[in-house]
Amino acid sequence: MTGSPDVLLLAHPPGPHRGHGPDVPTVPVRIDELGGADALVLSGPSATEGAERLLDHTVRWGPLPAHDGARVRSLLRDSRLDGRGGGGFPLVRKVDTALLAPGRPVVIVNGSESEPASRKDRTLCRHRPHLVLDGAALLARALGADEVVVHTHRRPGSSAGRLATAIVERVRAGLDDPAWHVSEGPDRYVAGESSAVASFIDGGEARPRFTTRPLAANGPSGRPTLVSNAETVVQLAVAARIGAAAWNARGAPSSPGPRLATLAGAVPRPGLVLELTGNGTIGDLLAAGGIGAPPAAVLVGGFAGTWVRGDEAWQTPYTREALHCVGASPGCGLLAVLPHDACPLAETARLVRYLAGESAGQCGSCVAGLPRLADAMDALADGSARRRGVARMAALAETVVGSGACAHPDGVALLVRSTLDVFADDVVRHLGGGPCRGADHPPILPVPAARSMPTTGGDAWR
Amino acid sequence: MEVSVTIRIDPTRCRGHAICALFFAEGVELDQWGFGRVVDDRVDSGRLLRKVRRAAAACPNGAFVVSERTTPAVRTARSS
Repeated sequence: MTGSPDVLLLAHPPGPHRGHGPDVPTVPVRIDELGGADALVLSGPSATEGAERLLDHTVRWGPLPAHDGARVRSLLRDSRLDGRGGGGFPLVRKVDTALLAPGRPVVIVNGSESEPASRKDRTLCRHRPHLVLDGAALLARALGADEVVVHTHRRPGSSAGRLATAIVERVRAGLDDPAWHVSEGPDRYVAGESSAVASFIDGGEARPRFTTRPLAANGPSGRPTLVSNAETVVQLAVAARIGAAAWNARGAPSSPGPRLATLAGAVPRPGLVLELTGNGTIGDLLAAGGIGAPPAAVLVGGFAGTWVRGDEAWQTPYTREALHCVGASPGCGLLAVLPHDACPLAETARLVRYLAGESAGQCGSCVAGLPRLADAMDALADGSARRRGVARMAALAETVVGSGACAHPDGVALLVRSTLDVFADDVVRHLGGGPCRGADHPPILPVPAARSMPTTGGDAWR
Repeated sequence: MEVSVTIRIDPTRCRGHAICALFFAEGVELDQWGFGRVVDDRVDSGRLLRKVRRAAAACPNGAFVVSERTTPAVRTARSS
């Protein structure tokens, strides 16, 4: 991306994906859930209890360190904290971009988590609201901002209420905090994209915007707008407590810090959020979630993610670098399991149909491209597709990559591409009218019913 | 100092009329529906600049965006 000015690139030679060197000992692999003894970010009360109260939070973590802005910036630089919302962009670079741009910065914590099967951000907002708010307060200090907006989606069980209660506790306790705002936007897939969130908070529609400059330099309001994922700011709050080096060392050589993942699909506990410390594999995470052997495949990174063959995924370290080698990315941290007796093409067809209906209806690639991709995937799944149709679908997927205002069409295209790649045998069987291994299998992935895309006008995007 | 001209097609405004490609054929790629994509977002030559301005003026949706900025002459490598 054409991100921050070049001078900043030179100022941070150790890139986000560089290892932390031979002098830093790697920690043993540990995996645990909310409240578990082997968790750090997810330590504390278990999931059966509600939001952790300010008093309990302060007893466990101590008061928020009184770091000034420069100290928070050093912490971001030394920890190499990367964004956990999907993009993996180093937070320090966003902060530096915002600091160099004119105007009073807007700080937005994005707790949207529009990925239907992901649970990590809402788990943090609902059960550890003070970690979210601590991290947001630190980020505001780094930018000299006196206001923070915490954004969530309007949905059953929204995190907004618990965040608001936590804010009341903090105001009563007289903490040295920025002014807080809690915002709730439409519960649509692309409405959680950072430019859509920034647009909504500026009073506009929650649809992705075409931008020529990064939001951190120039948001919809004209002010530098820093949008950071909820887990990202939580990691900042934790790093401030234990120090950059200790936080960093809980990661893997190429991935700084502990990482969160949500398990979905054919697992004993769909929606289980796990925290990984050390250089563990996807297999380690699935085993911790009660899966004994490699499944047929794992959908990595979200509904618009990438299929990875089960045996390959099983041994792939859960780091950005290792996932890149198998064509995947951590994305929102979703690991969705496909069992051996299900039809991968039928599952993907439901995903593509859902994602096509979740577009904002703005760009040609989504309006014209995605419904056709969904039709082609449906035909492939139900056995009515011909070889030529599959070739056309593959070409169509390439056409929509990089042609939208946001990465929504790219994600769908990657999903289709990885389907054709990983499930080539199933594609051949479906084309030949052969028996499908999952013809009568009930749906595996929790894909919501496909909706039509509301276009502009009305209040569909407010 | 030098003037740098950047061109972009705003995909949220583009309706696939493909008029930009009539005026600036060498710089715009069309997909099967006529939605355009710029080949190179930087324009240096004056001859191309005239075409670019015409393409921008002709777009009925204002989707063809030309930004002219004066930048310091020394530019380092960008992470595009």
